[in-house]
Amino acid sequence: MRLKAQVYYQTPMKTAIVTGAAKPDSIGFAVAQGLREEGYNIVVADLYEQGFGGLKDCLCVRTDVADPRSVEELIGKTLARHRTIDVLVNAVGGSWGITPQDLTAPPPRGFRGLTNCTLEDWRTILGANLDSAFYCCRAAAPHLKKQGGAIVNIASVAARKGIPPGAEGSSGPYAVAKAGVMALTRQLALELGEFGVRVNCVAPGVIASGRFQRVMEFSKKGQGPEGALAQIPMGRVGTVAETAALIVALCTDDTSYVTGAVVDVNGASYAA
Amino acid sequence: MPLKGLKGRKALVTGAASGIGEAVCQRLRDEGVEVHATDIHPKRDLLVADLTDADEVEKLAAEVGAPDFLVNAAGGPVVPTHSDTLPALPKASIPLEDVSMKQWSGVIAANLTTAFLVCREFVPRMKARKSGRIVNFASIAARRGSSRVGVHYAAAKGGIIALTKTLALELGPFGITVNAVAPGYIKTPRIAAASWGHESPEAEQAFIRALPLRRPGNPADIAGVVAMLCSDAGAYVSGATIDVNGGWYFGP
Repeated sequence: MRLKAQVYYQTPMKTAIVTGAAKPDSIGFAVAQGLREEGYNIVVADLYEQGFGGLKDCLCVRTDVADPRSVEELIGKTLARHRTIDVLVNAVGGSWGITPQDLTAPPPRGFRGLTNCTLEDWRTILGANLDSAFYCCRAAAPHLKKQGGAIVNIASVAARKGIPPGAEGSSGPYAVAKAGVMALTRQLALELGEFGVRVNCVAPGVIASGRFQRVMEFSKKGQGPEGALAQIPMGRVGTVAETAALIVALCTDDTSYVTGAVVDVNGASYAA
Repeated sequence: MPLKGLKGRKALVTGAASGIGEAVCQRLRDEGVEVHATDIHPKRDLLVADLTDADEVEKLAAEVGAPDFLVNAAGGPVVPTHSDTLPALPKASIPLEDVSMKQWSGVIAANLTTAFLVCREFVPRMKARKSGRIVNFASIAARRGSSRVGVHYAAAKGGIIALTKTLALELGPFGITVNAVAPGYIKTPRIAAASWGHESPEAEQAFIRALPLRRPGNPADIAGVVAMLCSDAGAYVSGATIDVNGGWYFGP
């Protein structure tokens, strides 16, 4: 019996948690698929339970990542099913569709800057984009430290250049939250490096996710969440697939010596 | 899983005789890329060229044709010669007053002019096909300043970042991505031989212990990032400088 158990555990599968991966047209969803192709057990944490049926062979956990108790439950359920946590991708985020109440609501019209957003906007957007990454990293860190691994957060080009007033679908608090995600990434890289845990983030420009498509349905022609699309030197928005492939590469040995880095993926629209 | 988008493509890697360039060749070949390797230092299976000479770059292009990926790894902290071996590295940084005109212009030429000439020669072939990937080599010396080589090397590598950003803007409409990799302390055989920048083995150990990842990098660590940038994972990354330094220094 013991021998059998040893054979079984000789090549244990690694486990990855991906938050914000239930909507089939999201970056998180594509990351979950990519990591599964790399051989990971996948745990999806999302509020969007309607999408759980579309996630084959994944452990789906309804999670409000802006609520630390909900995140603790996520970690508990993950470890009840799988032995380790090796990768964490924090893909929850955005300026709308981020709370249990407005999950499937249409995008709010108009630009919410720092001077005209409500305090509720500020709290929910900071909660979903920054607090969420903090809670998830903090809860997963003790388990990642046991054997090493990788964390990838999703920042935004908005943290580098701000959101131009008038741009649809995004917000001032979002830019601030994503700058916080960059700083959180660097701080965690320092704290977790000695345990073999690498922490990086990507800073996407305009990516053709479902959320972007819904903004484009009503926004002015040629305008997107980050301003005029015509200003992207590559002449196109990014695809979910190529963004997800980059995030997956930041989880693998291809980036074995990269930590604390912000990888811009914006079609040359903003070179940092 | 192999990276997607590499198999069957063609690459030109400069500075391929040793260290990082050699590791990039190995990694791309492992991924099924047809690699053309060049260096100023002769070695088996290498196209020998002095890439600071536009005529030699033109001759190289006649042999190589139209690569999908251009990896400009040629360069380094000392002025290269045409000899069979790499010149050794100095044991310490050169103060401003001691940087000779020969060192200044030679290091700028080896690092920056080579990248400019190689891009200028090969980019029209990429433009014609509306696709291509260019990976240049910057350095942590350009990010945080150089405390190990001197102002000549840091300025050359800073120039690489500016060249990279400018070409990203210029070539984006042609579907060509242009990025830079900025390595930190990468223990190539040449750097190990010079115990570069460290007064003693103890000093080196103390430096390594202060790195977040607690180890120096190796050429394969850099080659992985180059492969990533050439693969589908790098398709929308352009104008970026990727720090590969184990957390030593965080870029902007």
